[in-house]
Amino acid sequence: MVAKRQLSAMDKRISGQRALEAFYCACAAGGIAAFGLAFTDPFVVTLAGYTCAFALFALSINIILGGVGEVPLGQCLFFGIGSYGAAIGIGKLGLSFEVAVVAALVFAAVCAAIIGVITLRLTGAYFSIVSWGLTGVAMVAAANLDHITGGPLGLFGFPPITVGPLQLGNPQAYFFVTAAILLVSILFLVAVRRSPFGAAMDSVRQNPHLARAVGVDVARIRQKAFMLSAPFAALAGALSVPYTQIVTPDVFNVANTVDGLLMVLLGGARLVIGPVIGAAMFTLVPQIMNLDPNVKILAFSSMIILIMMLAPGGLHQIGVTLRDRLARKKDADYTR
Amino acid sequence: MELLVQTLVNGLVLGAGYAVIAVGLTLIFGIVGIANFAHGAFFAIGGYACYLLTMRGVNYFVAIPLSVMVVVLIGALTEWIVMRRSLHGDSHTGSLIVTFALGQAIVAALILIFGPDPLPVTSPLGQSTLRFVGIFVTSQRAFILVCSILVLAALGLWLRRSVKGQQVIAVAQNPRGALYSGINVPWIRALAFILGVAAAGLAGALLAPISTIYPTMGYGALIVGFTVVILGGMGSIPGAMLGALLIGVANALFETFVSVSWTPLWVGD
Repeated sequence: MVAKRQLSAMDKRISGQRALEAFYCACAAGGIAAFGLAFTDPFVVTLAGYTCAFALFALSINIILGGVGEVPLGQCLFFGIGSYGAAIGIGKLGLSFEVAVVAALVFAAVCAAIIGVITLRLTGAYFSIVSWGLTGVAMVAAANLDHITGGPLGLFGFPPITVGPLQLGNPQAYFFVTAAILLVSILFLVAVRRSPFGAAMDSVRQNPHLARAVGVDVARIRQKAFMLSAPFAALAGALSVPYTQIVTPDVFNVANTVDGLLMVLLGGARLVIGPVIGAAMFTLVPQIMNLDPNVKILAFSSMIILIMMLAPGGLHQIGVTLRDRLARKKDADYTR
Repeated sequence: MELLVQTLVNGLVLGAGYAVIAVGLTLIFGIVGIANFAHGAFFAIGGYACYLLTMRGVNYFVAIPLSVMVVVLIGALTEWIVMRRSLHGDSHTGSLIVTFALGQAIVAALILIFGPDPLPVTSPLGQSTLRFVGIFVTSQRAFILVCSILVLAALGLWLRRSVKGQQVIAVAQNPRGALYSGINVPWIRALAFILGVAAAGLAGALLAPISTIYPTMGYGALIVGFTVVILGGMGSIPGAMLGALLIGVANALFETFVSVSWTPLWVGD
């Protein structure tokens, strides 16, 4: 009887949660629409679009950092593959943007499969160092393979980029496309996190030995997470092309990964939308305060050090601690 | 034949420079137990300190120990403020992210203070070269080689012969055992960190006249250092030296006989 009541209460709570989530999604979609229509300044709207694209990259980093608990310093490799894939596809091969992006995503996933076999044997600092080293290899390759990548000067001068009927040269269209893709990606990643695979990733991060002991194939989960993260980074890279209008070997620069990593750490790695919050802060705050990019890096790096020393879960953890503290009183009443 | 010998010598000289960077890195990894991603930033600080001092008219040879002192000071400060507090976390990603962010912060600060452009450091050795049985070595490179050998030998001797050195080795082998036998482990860890970054600073000051200095000069050094350290086995000092020489020679051979523009592939630079 009691169990039944509890079950029905749980059902109710779950359906309540569903409703709340649907409400959040509607709010997000409404927010995107309102923002896109309310702001007409092309600079602001384009920047917002680029922020959405880069937030995808932060999400990709967070699949590794918040998912399996490694620091992916080489994630810009896939970002670069996405950028070059889109640029080569539309610039050299004359494909449509969508086809080029899909091809780049598939290529990134295949690369991740191959690279993962090598690098995922390593953990901790070794993994980070080797994957960072691989981006160096990619940068040298991009600078030397003149006939494919345009060499050190890179690729530029693309034909107008379109997605279906939308011209990505138009700031509003660019923003709507990137924001929609970001929203869909977030929903997808939330679903992944709730799936058995998400639980397995959690167990691998928290304690790989215990995970193996209860029957989780640790190596397989890590490989799958790595292959899942790569297409998101490539998508971010491809979607940043309409903004940057040029792709140089510098996309493989570790500074790109650092920006993404800072976004993830700012927002908190535990939450799926943490990186998105981080990305918004990372681009909007310096823009509003008119900061020099180096001041930005200095300020945010110092902030990361402080966060890691005081609250390793990021700003999200501070929020949760506050909420728990406020909620504790209610809980105590409930149990009595 | 002559070309081959010349290339080998170039490689050994290059490797000697790498060895100083890598030994610092491996010392920190072995004793403090962290992969110091801020190592390259301390390398750059060494270079910039040397630049500032030589600009003020200090002789280059005097400027080297002084810039090492500057790095020691900054290293001690970071150890005291940041490292000590961020190490006790249980996750291995914590120290990695902290050192990485620290490196980023230092590089950004250097760009803000000195600007992003390369700056020259002049050495009194200038462009003069030494000639020895048909092999050319610039005096500056020969000086780097001698300095590296001296410093590495002194470090090895200190670790082997002195009480403090033995304590450092004890902490590397078994921190808990060292603690139980009355060794001040936190202090030894601080010492190892400071020594490690001092080595990076020394390398920065030594290499500055050859490569000019720029804020991101540390990234290349860091990647090379890690390559060497992984090759030699993390935490092993003789391994780091051997690895550095190997990488240096391999690099020089590749540069001479295959391709200059593809050479960074080796070290992922």
